[in-house]
Amino acid sequence: MKKVESIYPNARIPYGTWGSSYFPAWQMSALAEVNIAQFAGEAMSKIMSKRKVHMNNIDYLITGSTIPWHWKFWTSPFVSSCSGFRLPGFHVEQACATGLKAMLLAAAEVQSGPSNMVGVLTFDRTSDSPVGVFPERRSYERTIALSDVWDNFGFDPATGNAMLNTAGLAARKYKIDRKEVDEIAFFRHQQYFQALESGFLQRVLEPLEILNLQGKLLGKIDSDMGVRKLTLDGLRTMRELDSCVTAGTQTHASDGMATLLVTSKDRIKEISSRPEIDIQFIGRAELRALPNLMPEAPALTVKKLLNQTGLTIDDMAVVKNHNPFAVNDAIFAKEFNYDWHKMNNTGCPLVWGHPQGPTLTRVTMEALEEAVDLGGGYVLIFGCAAGDVGIAAIFKVSEGGKK
Amino acid sequence: MIKSMRQSTLETLGLGNVIDIFKNGKLPVKADELVEQVFGKESERGALVISGANGIVGAGKMMQLGVRLQPYGIPLIGLDFPGVPDGIGFQYSGLAASFGKKQADEIMSSVIRYNYDGTKLPVLLKKFNPKLLIEAIPEILEVKKSHYKIFSESFPGIEIKSVTSGFPSSELGVDIYHPAFPHQINKIWEVVETKPSKVTQLFWALGMLPIPVSDHWAFVLDVLFCGLTLSALRYHEASNMPFWKIDKYVRKILGPNPFRAHDVIGARGANFLTWSCLHHLSKHYGKLFEPTASLVEHKDSGQNWYPLNHLRPIVNWTADENELNEFGTWILGSLIQMTSLMLHENRAHFTHINSIGELCAQFRSGVIAMIRRLGSSSSIKIVEEFHKLFPGASAKSWHPDVFKNLDKPEWQQLYVNAEHDGKVGVITIARESYNWDVNEELNRAIDWLKSEKIERVIVTGDFHLSTQLVGADTNEFFPALNDEKEGFRVSYEWSKTARRLHYEFKTSVGFISGKRCLGGMLELMIHCRYLVSVDDANLGAPEVTLPVVPGMEMCHWTFRKVKPENWILLLRLLLSGKSVKASESVGWLTDYAGSIENAIKIAYDIALNDEKVLPKRILNEEKLTGIPTDMAWLPHSDDAARKAILDCVINSCGVNLNEAITIQSKHSAAFMTSKQCQNGFIGDEYTKTMLV
Repeated sequence: MKKVESIYPNARIPYGTWGSSYFPAWQMSALAEVNIAQFAGEAMSKIMSKRKVHMNNIDYLITGSTIPWHWKFWTSPFVSSCSGFRLPGFHVEQACATGLKAMLLAAAEVQSGPSNMVGVLTFDRTSDSPVGVFPERRSYERTIALSDVWDNFGFDPATGNAMLNTAGLAARKYKIDRKEVDEIAFFRHQQYFQALESGFLQRVLEPLEILNLQGKLLGKIDSDMGVRKLTLDGLRTMRELDSCVTAGTQTHASDGMATLLVTSKDRIKEISSRPEIDIQFIGRAELRALPNLMPEAPALTVKKLLNQTGLTIDDMAVVKNHNPFAVNDAIFAKEFNYDWHKMNNTGCPLVWGHPQGPTLTRVTMEALEEAVDLGGGYVLIFGCAAGDVGIAAIFKVSEGGKK
Repeated sequence: MIKSMRQSTLETLGLGNVIDIFKNGKLPVKADELVEQVFGKESERGALVISGANGIVGAGKMMQLGVRLQPYGIPLIGLDFPGVPDGIGFQYSGLAASFGKKQADEIMSSVIRYNYDGTKLPVLLKKFNPKLLIEAIPEILEVKKSHYKIFSESFPGIEIKSVTSGFPSSELGVDIYHPAFPHQINKIWEVVETKPSKVTQLFWALGMLPIPVSDHWAFVLDVLFCGLTLSALRYHEASNMPFWKIDKYVRKILGPNPFRAHDVIGARGANFLTWSCLHHLSKHYGKLFEPTASLVEHKDSGQNWYPLNHLRPIVNWTADENELNEFGTWILGSLIQMTSLMLHENRAHFTHINSIGELCAQFRSGVIAMIRRLGSSSSIKIVEEFHKLFPGASAKSWHPDVFKNLDKPEWQQLYVNAEHDGKVGVITIARESYNWDVNEELNRAIDWLKSEKIERVIVTGDFHLSTQLVGADTNEFFPALNDEKEGFRVSYEWSKTARRLHYEFKTSVGFISGKRCLGGMLELMIHCRYLVSVDDANLGAPEVTLPVVPGMEMCHWTFRKVKPENWILLLRLLLSGKSVKASESVGWLTDYAGSIENAIKIAYDIALNDEKVLPKRILNEEKLTGIPTDMAWLPHSDDAARKAILDCVINSCGVNLNEAITIQSKHSAAFMTSKQCQNGFIGDEYTKTMLV
């Protein structure tokens, strides 16, 4: 492994202190019926309990979510109260970049000194999208009612285009072939089901029971409900909504939460189930692509990041991304002349959905677990976000991870 | 010469043994005589003063004592600081609901309220000649001491009792009467005094339950309850499990809901008192009692433990077997260690330490009984495991040597005692409901009396802790809900014990002195050859309302002792679930009902002379025929439980006495696994308590 200095030399992600709920598709599970922030706070406490982490060790909480929820005004302090522990903290959001950004901010918090164990808690509920009512004097309606999830997916106010159209436009720009996109989508599903059947995903995902107001079982969140077993033929027959974009080659909205810890390196021993595994933050980059070309933003961001760090794509042991469209992976592969079969080995958001806030958090956890299985190496995480934004980061998992 | 298995709890109040009551033909003291001794003669009655009368304790006790002292014309004076919110008036609606508006008005008319500034007493107070001060002012030692000084100087000879939540008598300089929540109705007072005073005996005569305890920091109930809360908090901090879920698990293994209890009492005050109790204890006994950070946070903020209504829990917590084991170690380890400390310090009579949790904190079993069940080595092992989780507790306040004496009568006879005078034995039951502990102790008590060659016995409550006998402890039926064999075992074994009262003594007298004797306890009593009761006691078989089929032979034993024309009365009792006054049950259920004095006298007389006093009703051991089956008179007679009870009556009466015990047990056991029982009170309690 090439040696590269960490951007946050004192910050670590302790192995074994992370966990995520399953991500059921929108409107399909009991998560559609609860305050997702309260759920996330309570679930974090439970997940940390399973990981033998005492919540009272955490001294700061960074929460990340993108869709308004009841009492969002109170943000992180409220969510931590729901976990049963009163922590200071703040809230961050940048669409699907939120999860990774929250981790990077946690590392900066540790590196700069005020905290030495920061909780990162990301969550979102796309179900029953809240509707904001905004006085808008310049519109002919005078008042605008905006469905936060679907109206925003359908309309970028800066460009006037829908999210979906950016995929079509980017596919045309990069001359992506529909056939290849269908194959990517099919392969990604196979990867997911293999990881599920092997028990790999269960190392990250924690089944949770949801209670109703009477304290009785409302439902179990114990699968990525809504993930379909697609066939290649089935994919090929799907109607194209824009160039290379079908119902099978784009993600779906879902609900969920994901949490992990970022600590100073001296706390690893007390908190990690395998303290010999050292996970460092190597580099980070963000970038904004040209208007309406969101799916190319991740590839451009990764280029920028590799230039910053001096690493190459071949140095990466694990490559994993947030890919709302299969087109994203095709562009990335083309830009880096990279075999897309080698990435997203344990599944990806294209398959298991798109709850926004926690998406890249779960992606990162799965990637770190994969790197541990491989005996260490560099881990490249990247993805796109609303506004033609790209975000990327590189982590280093020590070779001590070998079992 | 009186002999007893262990010391009677009555003796701790200076009131002798229970058998003395029967030998002397009267209760050891009378309320009116003690009122005169404490408050003076009727013409010159002094007053009761409660200071801090508007607080939760002061106002509650004003109501409780007011009800009892008002008939004696004792002025009740409530003293408090000016501007304190009215706590006494707040009690009125509860008083009226319990006693009716007329009596509530009369009680309130005896209450005189004064304000004072803490430095000088109201001038007019003198006019009422205060004789007894119950101090319930804030927990600040110096303020309390100066309060006593003012009263002692102003009213020499006044008796002062503090309700302090934790200061020892040696610090305060006065006796302590520490009451248990809820203060309007809980009759337990932990009493610290050098010897039982007239006031303590008066409290007993008025129907209170004074419990003498030693002079240490904090009280028995507080050590147990605050200690349990602390153990639960430690588990929270070790596991992140939310308080509401910990409460459910604590309820499952022990009975109480420590966090809910704090919220119900009022979190701000209760959090402070718990913290204060533990804070003082930790100064003397080390880390075992050291308040946790979350307790300090809740003390400082006064915050509730349960989430607000709009934040009812969303994510369930179900502990796996390993987690449950660890939970048990945190909770039980700490509790056993605290009990070892109290036993080491000889803080109170074993029965008192054991029972107080059951009487005041919803423990399903007394803490000593629980340790007895676990056994010495298991109990010690649990504490040692607890010390691995929480090493701080191992340094101090751990006395495993106290568990060496588990086979001694103090340990073995927590609920049931036996005494005799060489001729008559008395078996006393200090628990209101019948459970396996009572059953086993009762067997040992019978064995002991027989080994002492006693052939005549009276079975009764203990005249102290069991003010009524309410029936079987339905928690014991939980295993039977899904296991018919277990239901049979409960019914058969308990019936076998009850039969010993009939078969193994020349004469046995069941004596009912409390407000009621119901269900399983009444079934136990009817096995005595005679049944004597105070005339206003309520006797009943409420099993049908739960519903269960009576398991201790109520369905045939009583039928065998009465004329067929009275069978319908027994059927009414069994099938309606309604109680009957003892005075109306003579001849078909009881053999005698009268005033307490007469009942006591006649019970002992029967025990000594049996048929010379009252004819003995013969138990028909053969099959009974002609049990009425037409239940048209009974509303809802087609109800499944009523049918099941009637079937049990017909079938258990339809065989001879030898076979009847098996028939009755089978019916009882079969019904417990039925949907009617599982959907009824017991099934509901089981679901709420055990299916966490």
